[in-house]
Amino acid sequence: MSSHNESILREPLITGKDITYAKITDDILLPVENKPNKAWWIGFTVAALGAMLWVVSVGYTFWTGIGAWGLNKTVGWAWDITDFVWWVGIGHAGTLISAVLLIFRQNWRNSINRSAEAMTIFAVICAATYVVAHMGRPWLAYWIFPLPNQFGSLWVNFNSPLVWDAFAISTYFTVSLVFWYCGLLPDIASVRDRASGVKKRVYSILSFGWNGSVKTWQRFEIVSLILAGISTPLVLSVHTIVSMDFATSVIPGWHTTIFPPYFVAGAIFSGFAMVQTLLLVLRKVMNFEDYITMFHIEAMNKIIMTTGSIVGIAYLTELFIAWYSGSEYEMYAFANRVAGPYAWAYWAMMTCNVISPQLFWFKKIRTSIPISWVLSIVVNIGMWFERFVIIVTSLHRDYLPSSWAMFYPTWVDVGIFVGSIGLFFTLFLLFLRFLPGIAIAEVKLLLKSSSLQHKTKLVKEGAFPEEQVEYFRDSLEKYDSVTESDIKALHQK
Amino acid sequence: MESNKKYWKGLEELNQTPAFVEGSKSEFAEPIPVEDVLNEAGLSTKTPRRDFLKALGFGLGAVTLAACNRTPIHKAVPYVIKPEEVTPGIPNFYASSFNGQSIIVRTREGRPISLEANPNAIGLNQGTDSATTASVLDLYDMSKLQNPQIGGKDVEWAKLDQAVVDALNKAQSAGKQITIVSNTINSPSSLAAIAALATKYPSTQHVQVDAVSYSGIIEANRASFGKAVIPSYHFDKAQVVVSVAADFLGTWLAGEEHTQDYIKNRDHKSLKGGKMSRHIQFESGLSMTGSNADVRIAIKPSEEGAVLISLYNAITGQSVAGGTNHAKAKTAIALAAKELVNARGTSVVVSGSNDTNVQALTNAINTALGAYGSIIDLDNFSKQHQGSDSSFQSFLSAAKAGQVGVAIFWNTNPVYDYFKVDDVKAAIAKVDYTVSFSDRADETASELKAIATNSTYLESWGDASAKEGLFTIVQPTINPVFNTRQAEQSLINWAGVNKPIHDFVKENWEANILAGTGKAWKDVLQQGFIYKGSATGSAYTANVDVNAAAAAIATDAKRIAGGVELKVYESPNIRDGRWANNAYLQELPDPVSKVTWDNFAAINPADAEELGVKETGKVTVEANGYKVDLPVLLQPGQARGTVSVAVGYGRTKVGKAGNNVGVNAYPFASLVNGTIQFSAKASVSKASGIYELAQTQTHHTIEGRNIIRETSFANYLKDPNSESGRFSDTHQTYDLWNKFEQPGHRWVMAIDLNACTGCGACIVACNVENNVPVVGRDEVRRRREMHWLRIDRYYTLNAGDSKLTKEKEIAKADGLDYEDVTVVYQPMLCQHCEHAPCETVCPVLATVHSSEGLNHMAYNRCFGTRYCANNCPYKVRRFNWFNYWNDSRFDNYLNNEFTQLVLNPDVTTRSRGVMEKCSMCIQRIQAGKLQAKVENRKVKDGDIHMACQAACSANAIIFGDANDPESEVSKALRNERIYYVLEEINVQPNIGYMTKVRNTFEA
Repeated sequence: MSSHNESILREPLITGKDITYAKITDDILLPVENKPNKAWWIGFTVAALGAMLWVVSVGYTFWTGIGAWGLNKTVGWAWDITDFVWWVGIGHAGTLISAVLLIFRQNWRNSINRSAEAMTIFAVICAATYVVAHMGRPWLAYWIFPLPNQFGSLWVNFNSPLVWDAFAISTYFTVSLVFWYCGLLPDIASVRDRASGVKKRVYSILSFGWNGSVKTWQRFEIVSLILAGISTPLVLSVHTIVSMDFATSVIPGWHTTIFPPYFVAGAIFSGFAMVQTLLLVLRKVMNFEDYITMFHIEAMNKIIMTTGSIVGIAYLTELFIAWYSGSEYEMYAFANRVAGPYAWAYWAMMTCNVISPQLFWFKKIRTSIPISWVLSIVVNIGMWFERFVIIVTSLHRDYLPSSWAMFYPTWVDVGIFVGSIGLFFTLFLLFLRFLPGIAIAEVKLLLKSSSLQHKTKLVKEGAFPEEQVEYFRDSLEKYDSVTESDIKALHQK
Repeated sequence: MESNKKYWKGLEELNQTPAFVEGSKSEFAEPIPVEDVLNEAGLSTKTPRRDFLKALGFGLGAVTLAACNRTPIHKAVPYVIKPEEVTPGIPNFYASSFNGQSIIVRTREGRPISLEANPNAIGLNQGTDSATTASVLDLYDMSKLQNPQIGGKDVEWAKLDQAVVDALNKAQSAGKQITIVSNTINSPSSLAAIAALATKYPSTQHVQVDAVSYSGIIEANRASFGKAVIPSYHFDKAQVVVSVAADFLGTWLAGEEHTQDYIKNRDHKSLKGGKMSRHIQFESGLSMTGSNADVRIAIKPSEEGAVLISLYNAITGQSVAGGTNHAKAKTAIALAAKELVNARGTSVVVSGSNDTNVQALTNAINTALGAYGSIIDLDNFSKQHQGSDSSFQSFLSAAKAGQVGVAIFWNTNPVYDYFKVDDVKAAIAKVDYTVSFSDRADETASELKAIATNSTYLESWGDASAKEGLFTIVQPTINPVFNTRQAEQSLINWAGVNKPIHDFVKENWEANILAGTGKAWKDVLQQGFIYKGSATGSAYTANVDVNAAAAAIATDAKRIAGGVELKVYESPNIRDGRWANNAYLQELPDPVSKVTWDNFAAINPADAEELGVKETGKVTVEANGYKVDLPVLLQPGQARGTVSVAVGYGRTKVGKAGNNVGVNAYPFASLVNGTIQFSAKASVSKASGIYELAQTQTHHTIEGRNIIRETSFANYLKDPNSESGRFSDTHQTYDLWNKFEQPGHRWVMAIDLNACTGCGACIVACNVENNVPVVGRDEVRRRREMHWLRIDRYYTLNAGDSKLTKEKEIAKADGLDYEDVTVVYQPMLCQHCEHAPCETVCPVLATVHSSEGLNHMAYNRCFGTRYCANNCPYKVRRFNWFNYWNDSRFDNYLNNEFTQLVLNPDVTTRSRGVMEKCSMCIQRIQAGKLQAKVENRKVKDGDIHMACQAACSANAIIFGDANDPESEVSKALRNERIYYVLEEINVQPNIGYMTKVRNTFEA
């Protein structure tokens, strides 16, 4: 490693002084090896209450029937599928970070991939609950799979996007889980090595006998790469298929070829926003500021801005094509979105998804933690509305005006959605409590190349020209984890 | 000789090896360690570790088997001795009649499940109205009494008979009158039963009173012609029809019969012949008839008489004072009069008024038009409405004076439907003994001393004579289910005629009806009816003092005019309130307003704006001293300054489904010049509170879409293709899918938009046939009604020359008076698309296409993703949001084993979470095909009827095999007017619609 130094122009991915491999392990395992603090308990209590609301709402639905929701003869899907698509979309950032960024050797992913992947898995779990819960007869959910059966030649309909969906989501979940768990193995082994008693036993089993030999590490690298390769197409395919639920239909507002790229961009957009929401809190509460730095925050904000702009262009394209198509139904569907009874939802979507990310053109905003956090939530509100607009406003007024109807949610609709957020956070908080929230082994890789400490050392050795060091110093100003003295240290030769 | 041959099984046996000898001693070749198992070791309690798996396996297996549900026990009682005529699975058909209409009742395993018009009958033979079709449910109504009652307690029949006979004898000896108060009774045997009672008790009187009275017509005809009858109207002979506030296709006199006749001059067959009648309607509220008119002028109730006076003047050239000043009406009258006169002999004017003078004036007009003897038949007169308001008045005063000893109430409910309930109650209190023939403890019956619980017509022997000369039979299709007895049997028992009612009816027929016809009782039971009337009526001339009538009309108009004018009308579904407990009818949307489960105050949207009331608002309506809060309905087409309220609602003691649905509007009525009048001067004010009406359609314009195609008759004559705009004529379509062979049948439908009046009888027929659940008001509010077939109704607002069909345009237009609307109805059901969007998206192939062009639904396979419903461009798929059959929250009528007997056993009920939709009565198609197969022939056109088609009196629905080029439907689909709804999205629907043609003035 030392034979090849990273350019000083690159911003550091780890800040702080006197960072050693041991310190990294200590820092990251702090929440795992100690009793949870008050913040965790408060969060967990709130989340668990939410999860209980979810259990109650879903239980009530199963007990009485889908009629507990606000759906009707015209609007057959509303909050259920809105929430489903929302959660699936959120999951996408995790896969993008862990797989695509790995393949492109974006090292900054190393400190955020673990939580992002966990987020993916929990988001897909939340999404999958809707797949089952929205069915009229959920006890028959397994019929979606082409299982051999005693009913003769009963088979699934391979023309139906819902079948594709079932395959896409289940594949996605499996691959994400395996990828995540493989990545966890060395870190679980670290926990094991430092633990004692029952804990040691449990982590010992969970670590699959990881022994840290060179061969193990080599295989680990290969498996990671293979799984990244498998996951990469999923980033595109899963939401493409989800979008086909709509795109292959005949309903104006759904029947559109732009959906696959538009949905994928939207998924990454919302996923990064969710990662941002989680990590900004996480780094503060868990004292991970040195590992999840301003560079990460800014990088993610840039992605949010880019994908937000793509989504915005997609919205405008849709409007243009609706007009350009000359189809009265298509034109009406979009006029109805913009100015119909659900126009408030459309404009909420437009404001949150198209206008708000544009604020990230300003560096000040991009590097402001409170604003980033607020905007990340705004984006996810906007993305929820996007799915609501697509699903409900298209359905509620389609071809025959006689069937036009409004959709009003019931407490169960709201309960399941709020509850699913509770479920998500319950799982996420448990994850933080029992597994390392940052990939220890992968972060350690960065210590001798991309850390501020290492770069400071190189600067002191005079390895870089002064103007580059100057540039480097300037770039550190935005870091909230870099002190004045850290920057001053870069002056001393 | 005994054979010594011996067969050996192997060389071992032949050689008798020692091993063989040893082995052959025991039964099994390998020794079985029975002893080991049974000895101490085998039965010891020791459980070696390796037995764990065995134990676990056995335990799990045994527990699993034990946990399996016992096969559910279905209570099915087979026939011990099978009745000869009943074959399980095969329906039986019996001729009967309902409300005087000859019908065929279908029974399965002894229980009636549906009924249809008798196709061979005279008069109304094509369809049934919604009440007729729904009446089968009344048999299974759990709200009925199961025993006769005295003082609200169940008693034995003998005890009740004793009490009644004692009372009758007492009245007889006290010289008090015995009165039977009934609604119109035209049944010869019922009348004979009354006569039998009158023979025994000579002071017996029979008073007929109808809640919605037509006394005015009877009285007018008595004065004009000396014939106190209501004539029959033959609209099939009418080329020009002017109706002043008569809902003659719906509630007025015999709506269903009128529909059948009226449509004959307007449907595709008539249009093919280049003929179409013209219909001009003057009315205040938008009735179903008005919505079908070519020209409709909104007038206030007080202007009805004036319009008729103007019309009289315009037709006869006279100048009777009191004509209308309504500008639009005047123009229309001038044009209408010209048309009427030109079509003399084939033109008619009808008036919905119950005022004697108005009807007298109408008689004068029709005399001038030569309608008597051609369209109006006074010889074969109608006997369906004989109620007399004045004779009920005299009954009330006699009763109040204590002159009535016994009062028997039969099919009448004055405590609910008379405008002065207190008067009725006071009168009843003064009667010594009161009996009801009600089947339930309704508002009146519960006030009376005894209830001689009546059986329904499906359990009774009887007859009817809806028209002079027409006699229809009522024969029971099931034994009385409860301990009930039909009223006629009670009457003859009390009269001391001790014979079964069957014999009584039969003897009455043989003596009075069949005599001289050469027909026997059995023939009648088979045919269901007999007609002895003359072929056509003869001409009559009305003797009317027009000036006097006009003066009286002008006086009466003053009673109503000034302020807001109230029009109380009969709802086409619930009618006078008699069917209020019929859940099918409560959930049948009103044809025009699409409201279910409620009545409402219909006011013009412009008036509503002035009042400051919005949709879901409420208003207080006060008239004739009666004040009530009603939910408001913004009704386009309603005359400005008027409010319409339907009677038949607000019942309190009718049963589970109908209690407290809506508000009673009868107290708004008043007695004027001896007849009940339903118009009044009213005041309407905004009331507090919100109330959401359960409407099945909440968007009322077509938004300029070409789903409805319509043209004028003049344009049609120039080019029959006018406006049909078939997409396939101008566009080439490309298919993604392979074409499938459909070598056998291809079941399709054609719907004539010109024939459909929007009445909704088809919806009820579909409900009954296909076990479509009733979901109740709350679920309809949530837009979850389950109807497989619905009738879409769209308004076009006419503002000057422009026709507004878009919500936005209407919102923008200033100063709209919302009076001038045109209405179109479109029956909408599963279109059985060849490229059905629902089929491709179902993940589990629960909905698939048949080789006969049908879109099937496999309920068992459906797990309820609702994707198909979302992707249906026609939104005809219905989802079972709850277990509507078996959920106490939706207990409108069906959640008991008894009422469930009404279900059609050929159609499965659908559980919660399953999608359903029109199956094109697949069970009927199957039955028709099997019948043909049994008879070793091909299915003939007309063998199979859809339930909706069979109910449609207007013949608007044509069903058949498109692969048979000579079938009715194939011919209809070759009609120039045929178009397919949404054909441009290439789903290839199998149901063709014929353009709506209007015979408007402008054209």
